[in-house]
Amino acid sequence: MKDKKRERRGKISRREFLKAGVVGLGMAAMGGLTEKAFGAPAVIKGTKLTILQGTYFIAPGQDLYKKQALEWGQANGVQVSADFLNWPDLQPKIAAAIQGGGVDIVELWPGWNYLYEKSLVDVTDMAQEFGKRGGGFEPYVLNSAPVKGRFLGIPHGYNNNSINYRISWLKEAGCPNAEDGNKVELTWDQYHAIAKKCKAAGHPFGQALGHSTGDPPGFCYPYMWAHGGMEVSKDGKSIQFNKPEFVDGMRKFIQAWKDGYDETGTSWDDSNNNRAFLSGQIASTVNASSIYFAAKKDKPELAKDIHHMLFPKGPAGRFYWLESRTFAILKNSKNIAGAKEFLKWWFQDKQYGDWWRIQEGYMLQPVKKYYNDPTWFKDPKMSPFREEPKYGINQGYAGPPNQRAALAWSKYIVVDTFAKAVQSGDAKASIEWGAEQLKRIYRV
Amino acid sequence: MGSETVKSRGGRSLRRLLDRESSLGIILMLPGALLLIIFMAYPFFLGIWLSLTDSVIGEMGDFIGFRNYTDLLGDSIFHQTARNTLIYALVTVPFKAMLGLGLAMVLSNRMRFSNPIRAAVMMPWIVPTALSTLGWFMILDPVFSPISWLLRSLGVIKQNINFLGDPILAISSVCLVNIWRGIPFFGITILAGLQAVPQELHEAAAIDGANAWHRFIHITIPTIRGVVLIAALLSIIWTFADFQLIYILTKGGPANTTHIFGTYAYQIGLSATDIGQGAAIALYMFPILAVFAILLLMYLRRD
Repeated sequence: MKDKKRERRGKISRREFLKAGVVGLGMAAMGGLTEKAFGAPAVIKGTKLTILQGTYFIAPGQDLYKKQALEWGQANGVQVSADFLNWPDLQPKIAAAIQGGGVDIVELWPGWNYLYEKSLVDVTDMAQEFGKRGGGFEPYVLNSAPVKGRFLGIPHGYNNNSINYRISWLKEAGCPNAEDGNKVELTWDQYHAIAKKCKAAGHPFGQALGHSTGDPPGFCYPYMWAHGGMEVSKDGKSIQFNKPEFVDGMRKFIQAWKDGYDETGTSWDDSNNNRAFLSGQIASTVNASSIYFAAKKDKPELAKDIHHMLFPKGPAGRFYWLESRTFAILKNSKNIAGAKEFLKWWFQDKQYGDWWRIQEGYMLQPVKKYYNDPTWFKDPKMSPFREEPKYGINQGYAGPPNQRAALAWSKYIVVDTFAKAVQSGDAKASIEWGAEQLKRIYRV
Repeated sequence: MGSETVKSRGGRSLRRLLDRESSLGIILMLPGALLLIIFMAYPFFLGIWLSLTDSVIGEMGDFIGFRNYTDLLGDSIFHQTARNTLIYALVTVPFKAMLGLGLAMVLSNRMRFSNPIRAAVMMPWIVPTALSTLGWFMILDPVFSPISWLLRSLGVIKQNINFLGDPILAISSVCLVNIWRGIPFFGITILAGLQAVPQELHEAAAIDGANAWHRFIHITIPTIRGVVLIAALLSIIWTFADFQLIYILTKGGPANTTHIFGTYAYQIGLSATDIGQGAAIALYMFPILAVFAILLLMYLRRD
């Protein structure tokens, strides 16, 4: 008898169906709220949902996310709290949440899906649905988000990252096509020759080499790959770090550091170069477009003089360290159903699209359909980033992205190799140190 | 009637229990002991167990004996971390002690507003470390440091000082901040010791012709020696186990030149998720701290 009642409870009566239809039509007429109010089962009503993610450099993106999450919570009777943490603090907080609980959804940086593999809920179906709707995932996403064929988080892209430079100062230093970053094609050697001239004119280049998770690895990995260095071979069985061509590339970098860079960069974190650039201290730096957005908001004259270019090429080609971030659900969450419903809703075209577009190209497209989105053509200064995914490869390349690669990344082995090199002036010894550390990590 | 008898019997036995000094002592000690067991002993033994396993975040590993400890012996970052910790803990203490002594001597003099001044000098010690270190983070900023700005304006330097980016300057800078934070503790502790020195001794020595320096060497120093020693041992223990100051200023960078046990354990255990090895790094501190703690206890017992 009870079972029958329960069965009936699960089904919707005609009266309820009509009610829902009328309410639904009314809400749709009020502004397309259908997706917000429906699709979530009543079972999650009265629950709590805690979301942990990195703080945004593009404030409107963070505000919108918070607004969306709260609206969804109100519509579904779920008490949602969205917390935004400084990037270096995010990983330890997630680790603590895995050990101690209290968090439902976390934003994972590249590689963390491998590190926390056993603590994450499999969301393959939801991720694939998002990918399918978007015309398929970009290769960099497919290369990094699935762990052994399963998605343990839904990929939402990665922030752009390339060369931000002052048009006038690079023009003075003889950079060809400096006025249009889309047309600038340089090698690392040429880029550093320009740096030397700029520093002589009082405008050095800036590069963060401290223990920070964004810009230091964002520069060091691509420079290493462009000069033939890599952490490990394709089969993951031998360390390919201490290669003569990389040692040669590092020697050039040490010289360039003295000649063309602000040498205090060894202690810079992800925000130092933003501040140095915005205050007119440096002519060029590797960063996301957040510098440009901040200038547009507060220093429009400076913004006019800023452009972006793709990374220069090295002897081995052009590379970006690019893997997707993901929104994942922790296995120890007490509200897995609610977390799934929220993510399912948030990754709908309306919500995700609004969130992606409001950041004006700061987030790179995880799915192919956004490659041709009008967002990319609004401002030609943002167009170089559109091409970035083409050159993106994973940490641990040429090996697969895995726990070992993530470990090396978390221990800042590649970044510290660069920092050691510029501090000591000894490229070979620094690379040998890095190779030794990688051998320990990869156990080869 | 029967239940009242039972109640009164129960009341009597409870009273007897409370009257007996030995049982009362145990009862009064229980809440404290319970807190110590939950918040100190349990995490400590869990840490020891974790360090003997290959546990990672989210997954309890298998017992691997002392492999985490022996692995670390071959890790050059760990060697550097151990060196940094020793420098950080041992080099800073003499400075803190000397400057603290100077501060105490100044404060021991009767002067106007001495109480508010004494309270004010405690500020570096009272203000939460995270907050005061953020202030230093701005002072030592590689691009916007007011010190660099001033020296550049005066034409003393041409480039900003790389306080936290140069290996020597970075470790010196974190030591400097640690000294700044630690001086008030020494100052106030020694001040308390100074106030215990009987004034008559000084007066008698002065009558016998001893000058201020002689009185300082032969009366003041012997009297406050114990206090200084206790403050120094406590300071070494706290500095060894420090974390916040380094984490805020450098996160162990650049190139690990400021990593100390606490920050390296955090990086390996929580960032790199190797919680077994992270625990082993933290526990390497234990024998060193234990030696200092035993020395401290021995000294206190002797007195």
